[in-house]
Amino acid sequence: MTKTPPGELELRRAAARAMGGDEAVAKWHAKGRLTARERIAAFVDADSFQEFGMLAGKGNYADDGTLKNFTPSNCVMGRGETNQRPLMVVADDFTLRGGSSESSVAEKWIYAERMAHEFRMPLVRFVDSVGGSVKILEQSGRTKIPGYTLWPSTAMMGTIPVASIAFGSCVGLGAVRVIGAHFSVMVKNQAQVFAAGPPVVKQGLGHEVSKEDLGGVELCTQVSGVVNNAAEDEKDALRQAQRFLSYLPASVWELPPRVVSTDDPKRCDAKLNHAIPEDRRKPFAARGIAESICDMNSLFEIAPKFGASLRTYLARLDGYAVGLMINDPMVMGGALTHAAAQKMERFVDLCDTFHLPIVNLVDQPGVMIGLDAERAGTLLAAARAGAAIEQTSVPWVSVIMRRAFGVAGSMQGPWNGPSGTSLNHRFAWPTARWGSIPIEGGVAAAYKREIEEASDPNERRMELEQYYQRLASPYRTAEAFGVVDIIEPAETRMLLCRWVKDAVRLLPSQLGQKRRTLR
Amino acid sequence: MSIERLKSPVTGVVWKATAQAGAMLDEGTTVLLIESMKMEIPVDMPRKGKLLELLVREGEAVCEGQPVAEIE
Repeated sequence: MTKTPPGELELRRAAARAMGGDEAVAKWHAKGRLTARERIAAFVDADSFQEFGMLAGKGNYADDGTLKNFTPSNCVMGRGETNQRPLMVVADDFTLRGGSSESSVAEKWIYAERMAHEFRMPLVRFVDSVGGSVKILEQSGRTKIPGYTLWPSTAMMGTIPVASIAFGSCVGLGAVRVIGAHFSVMVKNQAQVFAAGPPVVKQGLGHEVSKEDLGGVELCTQVSGVVNNAAEDEKDALRQAQRFLSYLPASVWELPPRVVSTDDPKRCDAKLNHAIPEDRRKPFAARGIAESICDMNSLFEIAPKFGASLRTYLARLDGYAVGLMINDPMVMGGALTHAAAQKMERFVDLCDTFHLPIVNLVDQPGVMIGLDAERAGTLLAAARAGAAIEQTSVPWVSVIMRRAFGVAGSMQGPWNGPSGTSLNHRFAWPTARWGSIPIEGGVAAAYKREIEEASDPNERRMELEQYYQRLASPYRTAEAFGVVDIIEPAETRMLLCRWVKDAVRLLPSQLGQKRRTLR
Repeated sequence: MSIERLKSPVTGVVWKATAQAGAMLDEGTTVLLIESMKMEIPVDMPRKGKLLELLVREGEAVCEGQPVAEIE
């Protein structure tokens, strides 16, 4: 048996800690960036990081077999804790060959993900990788069919929370590691996420396009929605990922943690009674309503710039974690656009998967209409979002604040649910109006002839509209128990804090993986 | 002072111009109301500045992202 020469372990560990070497690290710092190890240190609690695979890399040996030098893998990974909660963290090191998979030792990052999956703890990816390199061919002497065995990339989306941060240009597999997550965030003016970068686009399509235009923050978080959130800088991105995880359980086999809330669950905010303008054509500030109802400072918004006619928040009610949706009439009139429908589907799946009861604050004018919307396939996206709602078993409550019209208006909560019998537990504010179609357009269509033939068509139309508006009073629906209750808006927090107390009692019996059918 | 174009946040019809060209406006002041999905969606000043020109007229159809006013 050969004996390990004294000091070799420390030598190899020091080489791993040095990453790309002093010069590469200094250059990296000069760009204002943190190294992979610094990012991990900033993310996990002090003294909680246990690195794995520190010795993976490439040794260079003399003819007699002694180690000349050692180049570590450009993947740093291990277990750590944030706020005393264990998780796996896996970070690309750009100071070594641009984070390229060329020197990453693929088994290592896959092991990190498998371990998170197997040990049922959250996974956080710090992605900063230019992707593959043609030089791999020279190293291995052969090409390989793309793909990775034993990478549970899809399975773990149903078992453990996955959060990804894009720190730099993330291409191909790097991009997939960013977007294949429950929450993704990218650093402004520093990260891009795309299938292929400008040189490949130039070669394939002949188009010249800048990196930022092709996959910068604006495109990814506002236009395509492939990444959820934008971060001002690296520290902000790390904080956002920590914040996201704070609402979720370690896995689907556990309950989301409750925090101690200092906000009175019976707090009534009189301002809410005037939050909805009397003139139904006037929009309102959606976030202000959500803030007033939830525990103070508990809102964490996902995808604020994408499909923003629907706002999606992780939030707390009396310390319990919930998912909260609210329509924002300032954006596209609050309509369910293609983007908003995609966002709704993903958010509902997220909440159902991780046992977050859902609160839906509704002011829904309907599925977006018009040529652009039809061409985009908005109806299919809306139907998928509706199916996602039906497939939830997590408790729901909806409060109709104002409009609930048409197909999208029917999507306040599950009508049947997976059990086929779920309660559609819904309340309304006195300002609510609902129906298959809005009265304004509906009267014009149904009474076309009568209005045209009237001596004053405009006056006749308004008369008819007023008549139907009176019929559309929500109190008439309440008489028929078509809504559980109409409440004073100021009482909403109290109602929801009581509801959540009952709702969370169901969660222990729902632990484990959720099954969903085709949608 | 740089010149900036305000864009319509939605597809719809210009409902009302609520400010006049040449006016000095505070941040958040509404310049135009766009009617879309039966709502009046405001186009607000992103910062304090002068409204140089309205690029659209009341009743005109506008697309999402279309420039509707020029400010300085």
